[in-house]
Amino acid sequence: MNELIGKQDDELGADLWFPLPAPLCLLTLLLPPLSPAAPISPAEPISQAYSLALYMQKNTSALLQTYLQYQGSPFSDPGFSAPELQLSSLPSAAISFKIWHALEDGERLNRAQGAFLALTQHLQLVGDDQTDLNPDSPILLAQLGAARLRAQGLLGNMAAIMTALGLPIPPEEDTLGLVPFGASAFERKCRGYVVTREYGHWTDRAVRDLALLKTKYPE
Amino acid sequence: MKLSRKEQAESARNGDQTHLWEGVGKWEIVWTAETGQPRARPAFQDDLHRLRRYILPGSSMTSRDRPLDRSLYGSTTLRAPAPRAAALLRLRGFHSCYRSEKTNTKIPALLPGDHEISINPLHGSRSSISRFILNEENISLIPDTPEILNLSADFSTSTIHIKWNDKGSVFPHHSDVIWQIKILRKKKMEIVTLMTHNTTLNGKDTVHQWSWTSDMPLECVTHFVRMRCYVDDLHFSGHKEWSDWSPVKNISWSPDYQPKVIPKDKVILVGSDITVCCIIQEKVISAQFGKEMCSLIHLDGENVAIKIYNVSVSPTSGTNVVFTTDTNMVGTVIFAGYPPDIPQKLNCETRDLKEIICTWNPGRPTGLLGPHDTNYTLFENFSGQNVKRAEDTTNVNYQLFFQMIPNREIYNFTLKAHNPLGQSESTVLVNITERVYPHTPTSFKVKDINSTAVTLSWHLPGSFAKINLLCQIEITKSNSVQELQNVTVKGLENSSYLITVGKLSPYTNYTFRIRCSTETFWKWSSWTIEKQHLTTEAIPSKGPDTWREWSSDGRNLIIYWKPLPINEANGRILSYNVSCSSDEETQSLSEIPDRQHKAEIQLDKNDYIISVVAKNSVGSSPPSKIASMEIPNAPIVAPNFTVEDTSADSILVKWEDIPVEELRGFLRGYLFYFGKGERGTSKMRGLGSDRSDIKIKNITDISQKTLKIADLQGKTSYHLVLRAYTDGGIGPEKSMYVVTKENSVGLIIAILIPVAVAVIVGVVTSILCYRKREWIKETFYPDIPNPENCKALQFQKSVCEGNSALKTLEMNPCTPNNVEVLETRSVVPKIEDTEIISPVAEHPEDSSEAEPENHVVVSYCPPIIEEEIPNPVADEAGGTSQVIYIDVQSMYQPQAKPEEQENDSVGGSGYKPQMHLPVTSTVEDMTAEDDLDHTAGYRPQANVNTWNLVSPDSPRSTDSNSEIVSFGSPCSINSRQFLLPPKDEDSPKSSGGGWSFTNFFQNKPND
Repeated sequence: MNELIGKQDDELGADLWFPLPAPLCLLTLLLPPLSPAAPISPAEPISQAYSLALYMQKNTSALLQTYLQYQGSPFSDPGFSAPELQLSSLPSAAISFKIWHALEDGERLNRAQGAFLALTQHLQLVGDDQTDLNPDSPILLAQLGAARLRAQGLLGNMAAIMTALGLPIPPEEDTLGLVPFGASAFERKCRGYVVTREYGHWTDRAVRDLALLKTKYPE
Repeated sequence: MKLSRKEQAESARNGDQTHLWEGVGKWEIVWTAETGQPRARPAFQDDLHRLRRYILPGSSMTSRDRPLDRSLYGSTTLRAPAPRAAALLRLRGFHSCYRSEKTNTKIPALLPGDHEISINPLHGSRSSISRFILNEENISLIPDTPEILNLSADFSTSTIHIKWNDKGSVFPHHSDVIWQIKILRKKKMEIVTLMTHNTTLNGKDTVHQWSWTSDMPLECVTHFVRMRCYVDDLHFSGHKEWSDWSPVKNISWSPDYQPKVIPKDKVILVGSDITVCCIIQEKVISAQFGKEMCSLIHLDGENVAIKIYNVSVSPTSGTNVVFTTDTNMVGTVIFAGYPPDIPQKLNCETRDLKEIICTWNPGRPTGLLGPHDTNYTLFENFSGQNVKRAEDTTNVNYQLFFQMIPNREIYNFTLKAHNPLGQSESTVLVNITERVYPHTPTSFKVKDINSTAVTLSWHLPGSFAKINLLCQIEITKSNSVQELQNVTVKGLENSSYLITVGKLSPYTNYTFRIRCSTETFWKWSSWTIEKQHLTTEAIPSKGPDTWREWSSDGRNLIIYWKPLPINEANGRILSYNVSCSSDEETQSLSEIPDRQHKAEIQLDKNDYIISVVAKNSVGSSPPSKIASMEIPNAPIVAPNFTVEDTSADSILVKWEDIPVEELRGFLRGYLFYFGKGERGTSKMRGLGSDRSDIKIKNITDISQKTLKIADLQGKTSYHLVLRAYTDGGIGPEKSMYVVTKENSVGLIIAILIPVAVAVIVGVVTSILCYRKREWIKETFYPDIPNPENCKALQFQKSVCEGNSALKTLEMNPCTPNNVEVLETRSVVPKIEDTEIISPVAEHPEDSSEAEPENHVVVSYCPPIIEEEIPNPVADEAGGTSQVIYIDVQSMYQPQAKPEEQENDSVGGSGYKPQMHLPVTSTVEDMTAEDDLDHTAGYRPQANVNTWNLVSPDSPRSTDSNSEIVSFGSPCSINSRQFLLPPKDEDSPKSSGGGWSFTNFFQNKPND
């Protein structure tokens, strides 16, 4: 699994102008016995993660709009919104501010990491769904792929932060579980909608998470 | 009254008298003794089967309206009421008796007509005997209620399958049966449809199956089915009725979870209708198909459906159907598209005779992608092999590859297209050796053989061993001429090919490229990339063109030659060799480098043969030879020239150089001829330079290319000729006709001046006439007094005494007689002064008509005229002669000059008025005698007789003559004033004497 992340990060570095140190940080993460014992300052990985989250934030709404545009009416209708649609396998980003603020840094990061782990897997699923539904729309497929890679990149950055903060890294788990392969086209469209929507919400939340961390660990 | 079997039994127990006839085959007859009409139905009961069959003895074969096998209907059952279990049934018509322990019995089918039936209890009183009349027409035929054996459903196609048994075995012979099947929907059993189905009974029990497809998915709502039948037995004359409806059976479905929208991911044909339903517990608020809202069809519970008509083609991801509730949205996706079009332009070819590539055009798009996209399979019908297109082919590339079968040339391909909505196919039969589209040849190379031939080699992959290749070579020579050569080569197995191209030019840049096909042409391959090649050099094919010229001092011979054109040089010229040979010696200059095209050799003026040879890296050209003394030739063409500009008086000519080849010598100059001439006239044909009207310009400055010819006349055609000349002579001529422009200014002046002069003269004349009107009047139209009243006639008495009473005397105050004038000589010189410029000076140019008038006028004042005469003489002959005239004062001219004599005959002389007077007469063919008379008659100014005679009597007298006559009135003659003119210069005017009005003209120049 660690190898997988490393490989994906390499892809990310090639595809995006992703901060170069990220894979390096990840390497240090991957090889803890070799890394020097001296604790790394959390400011740098926080800053990098924050930059990436900000960059992702700029693209989330475009991703959602592109996604909806290809699903046909009513999804493509202006102002479409279906908050009632949820995915049980995907944690919701909505949280009361008070609770969020009261969370400890480790817990906050834990939740975000769990969410982005789920998002990467769901984005993969949505990409596959759309390959069936919109095989002639390379733009959509590329955006979904890019979003997945960015989510993975942010995961790596968060892991680096947790390492820097000396927090335990939660084990990766299969959040998707049994994939409902027999889902109807409509269910797939809805699923994709929820995933791209939650991806935006979680990115917004991650920006806030990291901004808060930034203030706590200034450079 | 219709009774079920139970009821029959019931009624039997109750003691009703019921007749039961059973069978169509067996008839069950039910009746009541008192009221009931008997009824019949086919007897299916097992117990009835046991009843014996009665074959009617001597059946009425003659019956008209009954089939012959009427008896085959078999037995008839008669049931007696239970209490009378044992009874005797007598059929009167049959004369038969049936004994039955039960309450029913069977009797054979009845023959037409009435039958009296009596039922007698075996043990009872005779009074209880019941009798009735039975006729088949009173019997109803009611088939037994059918029963649905099996009801099944195919939910994917929304189809219900129904199975049932027709129980045809109970009917002895064939009958048509009508089945009615009723489909009901929802719990409220709303009828959806009622359909009929026809079958035939064939005497055996047959299970029938029938299917019905629902417009609404079967999952949406429970469907119920029941059926009944009607036996249309042609042999039965009674009343036929539908059977009872069968018990209902239903099809229902319950979802594994809710809510659920059905159908799921359905692919339908564009233009069809579809019903979508939503199985849900919540209340559905709205439903939409794509962008359009749909009206809800309420089903059981909260379930709803929508019906969509004439579905249009879906976008790629399908058309969404969405049901919205207060808290949720559920939906499904419909994919509306088309079945695959017939593959078009199916074409199978090979590039290497190893693999066949079949390509096609899918035709109309299906509108379906992804999992619903069209699958293509290519079958080869002879071999039975097939290839499928990879399903994950996302690129729109409609081709399939088929490995060739060894030693097979003919292939019959069928391409099958298939998608969820249908399939189509198209076939093609090919001889694959005729469908070869070779790859682009590779490794294309050019190699030299010699200066005019090269070999071309290339590689072509493919198994062409059994066929011939046709290749095309494009040869482009130095970016100019393009040539295509076709060559046929024997095909090989994955090999290189080699051909030779000849007939090339040495030392020339060629561009080669090649493409190939097969002898049975199908398609050219692409061209190879171009290869440039420079052929090798060859010796120059001829020597250079050579000229020579003696230097100005005559000692050296200068030899010139023209560089060889590239097609003759056959390479790069490195040097030239020049040699001059005579009988005695040979001089040569060798290795003259290229760029220098001239050599100078000191020679005496003997005959030499000069030879020039050009050399390139391969060798020398053949020598080009000329003799040293050869005379240069004249140019063989004339220079082209054009007229650049023309004006009224000039022409600008421009010409071009003569090409050196046509000059044939050294240009020395041009000759330009020009002269008046029109096209067509051969005025300058000869171009004789001696002709005065042709001007020649010799242009020796050979750099001069223009010439302006000036001083020409306007609007005149000029003939221009230009020739070039060399030492060898003058070349041919080139001529041209040019018309100069009109000189408009000169023309205007030429018109304006005479007009202006005429106007001025007219105006001056008018003014003078106006001023002198009195004088004119007096002169030309004097009041002629009546001679009788005229006292002048009495002048002999007192002419000059100034009698004022006489008008004539007033008018002519110069009464003094001329006789007195002769005595006053001193006056003469003055008159001479004033009148020097008298008309005489100009008279020779003036009209001859004016002249005589003057003279005539003068003639009446003799003294003045005499003075006038000398004036012209004074101009030319000097004052001496003047003096002479004056002195003489004679009427006769003694010194007439020879000129005057000549002029006299012409009548242009005013020199001698006296002589002239008769001369003017001769103008009108006066005879000499007349002259004499006149001269003689001049004096008679005083002689009244003479005066009287001249004018009226002369037959030839003109108006002027008559004027003369009037002038010659005695009054004027006697005028003294006239003879004494004032000394002023303007005296002639003031004097107003005998001068004619022509004086005005004569005076004018003086002014």
